[in-house]
Amino acid sequence: MDFDLGEEAALLRGRLRALIDANMPPGFLGAFTDDPSDLATTQEFCALLAREGLLTVAWPTEYGGQGGSVWAQTVVREEMWAHHEPRGAQYMGLNWVGPAIMAFGDDEQKRRHLPPIAEGSVIWCQGFSEPDAGSDLAALSTRATEDGDGWRLRGQKIWTSYAGMAQWCVLAARVGPGERHEGITMFLVPMDAPGITVVPIESMLGPHHLNEVFLDDVPVGPDGLLGEVGGGWSVIRRALAHERVGIARYARCERLLSLMAGELRATAGRLPDHLAVQWARALTQVRVARLLAYRAVLAQEAGGPPDAAASAARIAVTRCDQLVAELLFQVLAERSLEAGPSAPLAGAIEDHWRYAQAATVASGTLEVQQMIVAKDLLGRSR
Amino acid sequence: MNPVLPQEAVEFAGTARRAFESLGGVDVARRAEADPDSREDVAKLLADLGVDELDPLADPEQAAAAAALCEAAGRVALPYPVGGVVLRSAAGLPVAAVPAAPVRVDHGDLFDMWLACGPAGETMPARAVGAPLGTRLGPFVTDLEPVGGAAEDVLDPASGQALLAWWLTLSAWTILGGLDRAVELATAHAQDRIQFGQPLTAFQTVRFQLADAAIAVAGLRELALFTLWRLHAAPDHAWPDVVALRSHALDVARPVLRATQQLHGASGLCDEVDICVLVRHLQPALRLPAGAEDTARELAAAIATDGFDGLFPHGATAGDRTSA
Ligand SMILES: Cc1cc2nc3c(=O)[nH]c(=O)nc-3n(C[C@H](O)[C@H](O)[C@H](O)COP(=O)(O)OP(=O)(O)OC[C@H]3O[C@@H](n4cnc5c(N)ncnc54)[C@H](O)[C@@H]3O)c2cc1C
Repeated sequence: MDFDLGEEAALLRGRLRALIDANMPPGFLGAFTDDPSDLATTQEFCALLAREGLLTVAWPTEYGGQGGSVWAQTVVREEMWAHHEPRGAQYMGLNWVGPAIMAFGDDEQKRRHLPPIAEGSVIWCQGFSEPDAGSDLAALSTRATEDGDGWRLRGQKIWTSYAGMAQWCVLAARVGPGERHEGITMFLVPMDAPGITVVPIESMLGPHHLNEVFLDDVPVGPDGLLGEVGGGWSVIRRALAHERVGIARYARCERLLSLMAGELRATAGRLPDHLAVQWARALTQVRVARLLAYRAVLAQEAGGPPDAAASAARIAVTRCDQLVAELLFQVLAERSLEAGPSAPLAGAIEDHWRYAQAATVASGTLEVQQMIVAKDLLGRSR
Repeated sequence: MNPVLPQEAVEFAGTARRAFESLGGVDVARRAEADPDSREDVAKLLADLGVDELDPLADPEQAAAAAALCEAAGRVALPYPVGGVVLRSAAGLPVAAVPAAPVRVDHGDLFDMWLACGPAGETMPARAVGAPLGTRLGPFVTDLEPVGGAAEDVLDPASGQALLAWWLTLSAWTILGGLDRAVELATAHAQDRIQFGQPLTAFQTVRFQLADAAIAVAGLRELALFTLWRLHAAPDHAWPDVVALRSHALDVARPVLRATQQLHGASGLCDEVDICVLVRHLQPALRLPAGAEDTARELAAAIATDGFDGLFPHGATAGDRTSA
């Protein structure tokens, strides 16, 4: 038995931290703050990672990646999320859009789409959810109809992260008379296609994160079809499983706890006992969440169905996010509601608290994860 | 035993609710964020309601009316320090319960001068300084700067403690209003929202979440009524009761707001949806003058020295058979 991620992982972690330290502005909180320069910052950092050969650690070598071990990939996820995802919106392209194109795309699609993702020069968004299809994604009603040798898309997407900044979208639409999972088909759609309108949604997460995407007879060429007609559901499942292990929220929790402890020490402020006790419990929760996430990584590596392990990890990780957010707010007390550079930890805790409220909804709600875990339990008892 | 608000208070609250609805319900908070000066409309409306004549310290009837008014305000996230204004000092200054440092209060920018009550009930006239935070979770939280002198507003310590107790109690009623509304909103949303071919309320786990939230709010309401009664029935012994109410309000707020926002799915994070505005605008009341954990610690200390009303003795006299 051994819980050490190994020397390769440790070296990689060190390299990533050094790059972040040297290149990210202090107080960087991600690509969705009120600071308009954040997008450019993330784009420069992606280009830098690409030059350093660190953007596609997870990708197989045949697609220009480093073929890194799952633990190297884990380290990348941890360090990126811990430091407020300096890759900005691009993590989605790297984490699952690229791999989905590798798995389901044809040679031409691979040639066209993989290099820009690997170079860090393109932003992809994910057009799954619709106003009437959230947890019940199979109820989606956006339609694709054949038009010459291509397609026309009609319908509406919602909650589409980064739609306003993305150049491309992986979009789920319905083809033919099939109901529910049948007929769902995946398309690669350029966001500047005629008929696409993006409307930002004001939310407590900050500007330009969530959007509505209206599709009014959007033309898509034959090269826009990803995989088989009616084969979209397997792409979705793969994407969501990736997303579920994908976000190493526990790493940010642990970093914020560590930074805050340093801050308290520097100001000679000792935590009162009642908070110190909760702090210790929170650190333990963070560790449990991390270990469950590692278990999900192993399950995925073993090639088994990753669903239940990934969902278990995600439940632990998102709850941990909210627990730590609330604890840090109790510690900051009367200063907790401040935001921006002058706030404690340059606003990182306030930002974390707001995002943590969304953690149990984004990429499948907590309750949906519970259903997946329960289904697996019931299956095993047979 | 008659654990209900007096009829006049209920009617007054009904009038207040209708008045707040006439401002657009939770829209009044959205409008204030876009245009802080629009809070003047709220001030006018409160004056029309006769809030200036209300004195909760005078008798139980007025206390009930003030509490019910604060609850109605909480239901729409009314962008106005209603409790502080109802409790104004002898010289007419609004009252603010404040942390030791930084000294700050929600909507502090609305008045030049406040009577600030520190954690130990010490009172000090304080001037609003600088602009409100303007953040998503504390749009109107404003710093105050204590000023010396101003003799007419420096009260004796006993009345400072009383003002603090009343402020905390009225603030708990505001939180109660917000949480009650949150449960209503989540229930309505779960009835309307169709997923998997059924309204969300068809799923038992959703019903359980709603039931837990509703029970938590019902319990808070009982405690709020009890505390209101204690403040007039046993004013010299009510401090642990007040801190218990504050502590419980904060403890209940966390899971109730979480569950009700969660039940809204992603829409619950959008400013256009009422639950999001309620969650954001309730934060100052949940963090100032102190948060849940520090308040619970204060409660433990208050019980240790002053005991806790119940069927048996607690605190300093616990286990003492003769003192119950
Ligand atoms: C920050 C963020 C980013 C997102 N980014 C994207 C994106 O880029 N692309 C995209 O396509 N989507 C995105 N989403 C949407 C996300 O996938 C959905 O919000 C999520 O799947 C839930 O759907 P919903 O919001 O419609 O909630 P609903 O499905 O309406 O759920 C509302 C509540 O009911 C509960 N519920 C639903 N069904 C059941 C049931 N059967 N039993 C018990 N409880 C149930 C849910 O758990 C939830 O608490 C994002 C969401 C967030 C919050």
